[in-house]
Amino acid sequence: MKLRPPTGRRLTNGAVSGLAAVSALLGLLGLAWILSGVLFRGLGALNWSFFTQLPAPPGMPGGGLANALAGTVLITLLATFLGVPVGLLAGVFLGEFGRQSRLADTVRFAGNVLMGVPSIIIGVFVYTIVVIPTGSFSGYAGALALALIMLPIVARTTEDMLSLIPDPLREAGLALGAPRWRVTLTVIFRAAKSGLITGVCLAVARVSGETAPLLFTALNSPYWPDSLGEPTPNLTVTIFNYAMSPYPDWQQTAWGASLIITLGVLALTLLARLSLRERQK
Amino acid sequence: MMNIRAASPTPGYPAPQGGEKLRAGVKTRMVSPARADLGFKWLTILLAGLIPLLMGAILVELVRHSYPALQRFGWGFLVSQSWNPVTQEFGAASSIYGTLVSTCIAMLLAVPLSLAIALFLVELSPPGTSRVVGGLIELLAAIPSIIYGMWGLFVFAPFMAEYVQPALGRTLGFLPLFQGPPMGIGMLTAGVILALMILPYMSAITRDVFRLVPPVMKESAYGLGATTWEVAYKVTIPYGIVGIMGAVFLGLARALGETMAVTFVIGNDHRIAASLFAPGNSIASTLANEFTEASDPLYLSALVALALVLFVITVVVQIFSQIMLRRLYRARGGGA
Amino acid sequence: MKSVALRASYPLTDSRTLLEEAAAPVAEAWTGAKIITRQVNFYYGGHQALFDNDLEIARHRVTAIIGPSGCGKSTHIRIYNRIYELYRDQRATGEVLLDGRDILGPAVDLMELRRRVGMIFQKPTPFSMSVFENVAFGLRLHYRLSKAEMADRVEEALVKAALWEEVKDQLRKPGTALSGGQQQRLCIARALAVEPEVLLMDEPTSAIDPIATAKIEELISLLKEQYTIVIVTHNMQQAARVSDFTAFFYQGRIVEFGDTQKIFTNPADKKTEDYITGRFG
Repeated sequence: MKLRPPTGRRLTNGAVSGLAAVSALLGLLGLAWILSGVLFRGLGALNWSFFTQLPAPPGMPGGGLANALAGTVLITLLATFLGVPVGLLAGVFLGEFGRQSRLADTVRFAGNVLMGVPSIIIGVFVYTIVVIPTGSFSGYAGALALALIMLPIVARTTEDMLSLIPDPLREAGLALGAPRWRVTLTVIFRAAKSGLITGVCLAVARVSGETAPLLFTALNSPYWPDSLGEPTPNLTVTIFNYAMSPYPDWQQTAWGASLIITLGVLALTLLARLSLRERQK
Repeated sequence: MMNIRAASPTPGYPAPQGGEKLRAGVKTRMVSPARADLGFKWLTILLAGLIPLLMGAILVELVRHSYPALQRFGWGFLVSQSWNPVTQEFGAASSIYGTLVSTCIAMLLAVPLSLAIALFLVELSPPGTSRVVGGLIELLAAIPSIIYGMWGLFVFAPFMAEYVQPALGRTLGFLPLFQGPPMGIGMLTAGVILALMILPYMSAITRDVFRLVPPVMKESAYGLGATTWEVAYKVTIPYGIVGIMGAVFLGLARALGETMAVTFVIGNDHRIAASLFAPGNSIASTLANEFTEASDPLYLSALVALALVLFVITVVVQIFSQIMLRRLYRARGGGA
Repeated sequence: MKSVALRASYPLTDSRTLLEEAAAPVAEAWTGAKIITRQVNFYYGGHQALFDNDLEIARHRVTAIIGPSGCGKSTHIRIYNRIYELYRDQRATGEVLLDGRDILGPAVDLMELRRRVGMIFQKPTPFSMSVFENVAFGLRLHYRLSKAEMADRVEEALVKAALWEEVKDQLRKPGTALSGGQQQRLCIARALAVEPEVLLMDEPTSAIDPIATAKIEELISLLKEQYTIVIVTHNMQQAARVSDFTAFFYQGRIVEFGDTQKIFTNPADKKTEDYITGRFG
């Protein structure tokens, strides 16, 4: 029986190995290209007035995005306060009470699907349930949209983190006579702390860079965010508006805002990962 | 698994008599935590229930608000190409077409790339390199989509116009797909950027799927004299095919619904063009661009109808993805 | 690129195959043994698992390797086809001569080596494909065969593995649908199809029931007419039943090696005696 010459197989293997390495390299190249682009173009736009001034009209020197910065922080904070407790407790149901139950299975499935629903759809939904009835775009609507996006993320990571806690710890707490809610909120949450922080950080990182759900909820505004009951300035929608404008100085400002958002999101993501690594040690 | 529920005090549970003698008030202390526990449990059930409820509410709201448009245009809404706020003629065809085409381009690029990257991370690179490279590629997923949009519009589109599109025009220009002026923005650029955006999700899941393949399966293929590629192609990939399908559907859902990056570079044109160099639009980009301008009720309703179409498509794709991934994890006994 | 090629481990330039080398006159002491190991040491990272292993595997005989768990039995035979090289931190030193040629050398064609030295694992490892495709897997790698030839070869291998009668009507069924014992014989057929000279069996019956085990033991005694077989086993009766020679491993060293009859009736070493009489292990 004639043996196949192995040269062809070797060449194929070598070629595929090479292609795989090149693919990984392409991914890294994309990352480097995007980050360096944002860094170099963004740095030029940042100065003191960027962080302290209101936007200037195109062509006027100076001006900044202090209002949008403040608005983004406010909206994200409010979204976190709305979304995180609900997500944590929903996660407690999945990881502590529900576990294998039918309802938990449904919630899990719906959560996974919800995480894949485009964020712009969430924006449309919040528009229909908040903006239309109240008759106004508002920071509250924007925060609600972001909170809805956070909800399934926090719930699912909470469940994952709680499932890592061994049952004897729960039993030990209950054996001391502590009620279940107290065991969960103190003993279990404390044991899972770094994991929960990771989940929350990732969720906050995810929504703080979101634009689409804010487009027709928070809208945008060139003024200070005096009240979240009216259109509220924010960085991401500002980037969109400025980038699409024909004015080079606005586009430049958009790069500055892009750098801020990128740094913020990456910092949160890295924080989340470090927190998880602490846990694994 | 232990049944924890049984260990928690229930309302009918008698308080221990000894405690009552020692300290007054013990009895009420024993009952109220039980009640608090029940309350706590129901609170978590309620909040968890919000998640499926939310899915239902989104569907209901989208249907309710798109009703006027759907009533007016019927199924024709899906196939009509006209989109004219002045004459009140709305059809979703160009947006659906753009969504599908840009997603197709993204998948064509991202599926082989993510498979190759997973292969590199699991089979070819040393563990240290694999961790670093894998972590960096996952970082791509952390970058907000608006940043992809900025980079796409100001950095990548000019690059496409300058180098990639002319080269494609010269070599493949006989195909209608690659004809027309190289403007940078358009369907092709949107697809390439989408590919980069979904790459980290797909390669991370595919990598995990590859890692689920028991070493002894690979060893028995190597033991027959197979090369790394032959083991991957004939053993690892077939073994994890359900999971890889799950990853592909997940990437697909992301690409279909991605808004900002596409809106920046797709060119926003309601005409369907044969060339991939031409500008177009997608459901998400139409929503992003026009939603706040829609002053007229029918216009708004038509936009919500677009959102409904996108919602249904992505949910169906997501459900497929979840079913695939569940089958994989259930079969391999891992956590979901 | 070097690190990539390392895991793939198939030097692209080497055109001499082991077959050609074996055909050349070999000056090395020719003892009639199929495999000779000399001063083999093995390391998992910094941990040494085998110490100065010297062993001769007789041609067309069954050699059993016995010893307590973790003593290096499997590790030892995993050197014969260099499968350990899939793992970066594993390393072997010394000489392993297959027909007088050192297989640990750098110029060895691993694809060809593994064709000549087949391996059967503890648990059956049918691939996710049909019974037919499982057997054809190795054939497709190494031979260019017409459809008819392929069918003949698959049948021949299944006959040799004493599985043909049971599966001839279900060749299209997935390999994973067979019973455990059938799966293991399918793996043996898969290994036999590529015309190996040596069969390494790593506790091949530890995961299957006694009746299936008896079938495989019967098969082993048939196969030794044509193949050189090395079997690692936990089961002393099995070693006594099927093997001609037995090596007793203890803590990475070969304590005793010789005629199976002699080892089991009149062991020279106290440790061997203790082990086979069941005093430890």
